[in-house]
Amino acid sequence: MPLLEVRDLRVEYRVYEGTLKVLNGVSLSLERGEKVGIIGESACGKTTTVKTIMGLLAKNSKVAGGDVTYKGEDVLKMSKKRLTELRRKNISMVFQDPSAALNPVFTVRQQLYDIIKFSTDERLTREELHEKAVEVLRQGALPEPDRILDSYPFQLSGGMKQRVNISMALVSASELLIADEPGTSLDVTIEDQIMRLLKKIVEEKGISIIPVKKFVDRIYVMYAGTIVEEGPTREVFNSPQHPYTQLLIKAVPKLTGGGIPEGILGQVPSYLKPPAGCRFVTRCPYAMEVCDTDAPPLYGVGAKQRAACFLYDERQLPR
Amino acid sequence: MSNAILSGEGLQKYFQTRRGVIKAVDSVDFVMREGEVLGVVGESGSGKTTLGNMIVGIYPPTAGKVIFKGGDISQGAGHRSLEIKREIQMVFQNPSSSLNPKRSVRQTLEVPLSVHKTASSVGERVSELLSLVELPPEYADRYPEELGGGEKQLVAIARALATNPSLIVLDEPTSALDVSIQAKIIGVLMRLKDRLNLSYMFITHNLSLMRNVADRVMIMYLGKVREVAPTEEFFKNPIHPYTKMLLSSIPVVSDAEEAVKPEKIVSTGEIAGALNLPPGCSFHPRCPFVMEVCKSVDPPLLEVEPEHFCNCHLYPNDYKDKKAPWQ
Repeated sequence: MPLLEVRDLRVEYRVYEGTLKVLNGVSLSLERGEKVGIIGESACGKTTTVKTIMGLLAKNSKVAGGDVTYKGEDVLKMSKKRLTELRRKNISMVFQDPSAALNPVFTVRQQLYDIIKFSTDERLTREELHEKAVEVLRQGALPEPDRILDSYPFQLSGGMKQRVNISMALVSASELLIADEPGTSLDVTIEDQIMRLLKKIVEEKGISIIPVKKFVDRIYVMYAGTIVEEGPTREVFNSPQHPYTQLLIKAVPKLTGGGIPEGILGQVPSYLKPPAGCRFVTRCPYAMEVCDTDAPPLYGVGAKQRAACFLYDERQLPR
Repeated sequence: MSNAILSGEGLQKYFQTRRGVIKAVDSVDFVMREGEVLGVVGESGSGKTTLGNMIVGIYPPTAGKVIFKGGDISQGAGHRSLEIKREIQMVFQNPSSSLNPKRSVRQTLEVPLSVHKTASSVGERVSELLSLVELPPEYADRYPEELGGGEKQLVAIARALATNPSLIVLDEPTSALDVSIQAKIIGVLMRLKDRLNLSYMFITHNLSLMRNVADRVMIMYLGKVREVAPTEEFFKNPIHPYTKMLLSSIPVVSDAEEAVKPEKIVSTGEIAGALNLPPGCSFHPRCPFVMEVCKSVDPPLLEVEPEHFCNCHLYPNDYKDKKAPWQ
């Protein structure tokens, strides 16, 4: 049984203009100890997906279909008490912006102690709290834990703040750690350090992780609230199959040179009135008639990759 | 070799704060040639934006000179002639904050046109500018909130073009955008450069992008130039340990790219605070090759290969056979 399974998840947001149909049948799964990534442009539903898993959706949202099961338990139908229990002991999350995730008016000590108290049923003494706090900061590769504990967030650099966030997440993440682009707001050398730290933690502790980028075994590519491709990371990056993945990877400037191609013309469609069939149809260079009306299922391509594109349907004409 | 359009001589910018002096840019020398794309690359806090701001005259340097087409333009913009301001323009990082939300695209583009009086017919020039940045003419009557992030940045580029500049300082013009949009903006910028014979100072933290667009790359770290070289040479033979660390840290998508990275220098430590710079070479606390001399003497910028400059005590004497300590 997978540790986490998301099946055909549909999430909508109610806004003034109408209903935003954001997630349109997202399915993904994660085994214990596996590292899985989700990639895609901004506003394609990555954060909404992980927030649904954590039960952190905003008030104006609605799960319109599908389910999220964690070790066989349905997270969406869980009582509030049980969900809190999971967040206390099993699942935790690292957010994208390390500054926004910390409270600016409390020291790291106060914030970390709160989380440690929240995560345990025992009544810890001050010494035990301190010991535990120093231990998790060490796991987060922070030097001088005592100085960090007495610092306010503004006294720490961006990289250190993100390490504090990771340390805090480690308090509760005994089984699953979700990291929402933990390095994007940092410089590349620091991002590299953070990613190596996460990788090491995951490998040592055997926690599963969904970082929304690299260092993963398997990757899901999202576009406009749908999974368009999935497969082992190397295969997806070296031979992308879905037209969207192909164009996206082509648009990334390469260290090997070769100039910059045109990118992907157009924009992510409005979620108020998304296309009825394939959501990529408005920007796809290979769009066919069937793409306007039907949403493509995931077709197996090669040994382990799957792509949601009618180009791989044998009934369609070859390219 | 084409002529120098812009050069900096011993440029310094110090900011006095209550807690001390911040040396944002410290003794920077550089030359930019006509029609060149110079990539200025560094982490946050390296002084690259401060350098760009001094060139457009947002503030004058504390010491040193900015020379543009042979004339000294070290004074801030307030003391510059209209002609110089016309020739040097800037595009900022975040188009959502650099465009006035209450002005339509037409009104935004009319401002530089009326200040510099460069066009006989304002209406025609506005549509001409929009077509230069490959936007349809009907965009003239839209407001920023109706535009996507990439389109807003194109409007900001059109505004910079309004005065017929010869040099544009691009301060991270695509770092707030998705890669698919970035590719589009870069395409437009490169076509414009060829068509209008522009020179770009391209400030960025993205080395992969510079590999594809820059003629020369200049690496900055804590207010100093650490390495400058023509792009081909730079990526084939990076020599400063900091450059190697940067290159090793870049996330890449394919195995082919992984193969062109230099020997891996694992990223350690963080950029120091600009308030208390380390003595000697400011990179020494993070450098795997640190020697005694690095802790007290700041190395000079030397030409180690033709056109390839670097400041590091390892060079130029013995860099060819210098191996990483663990090799």
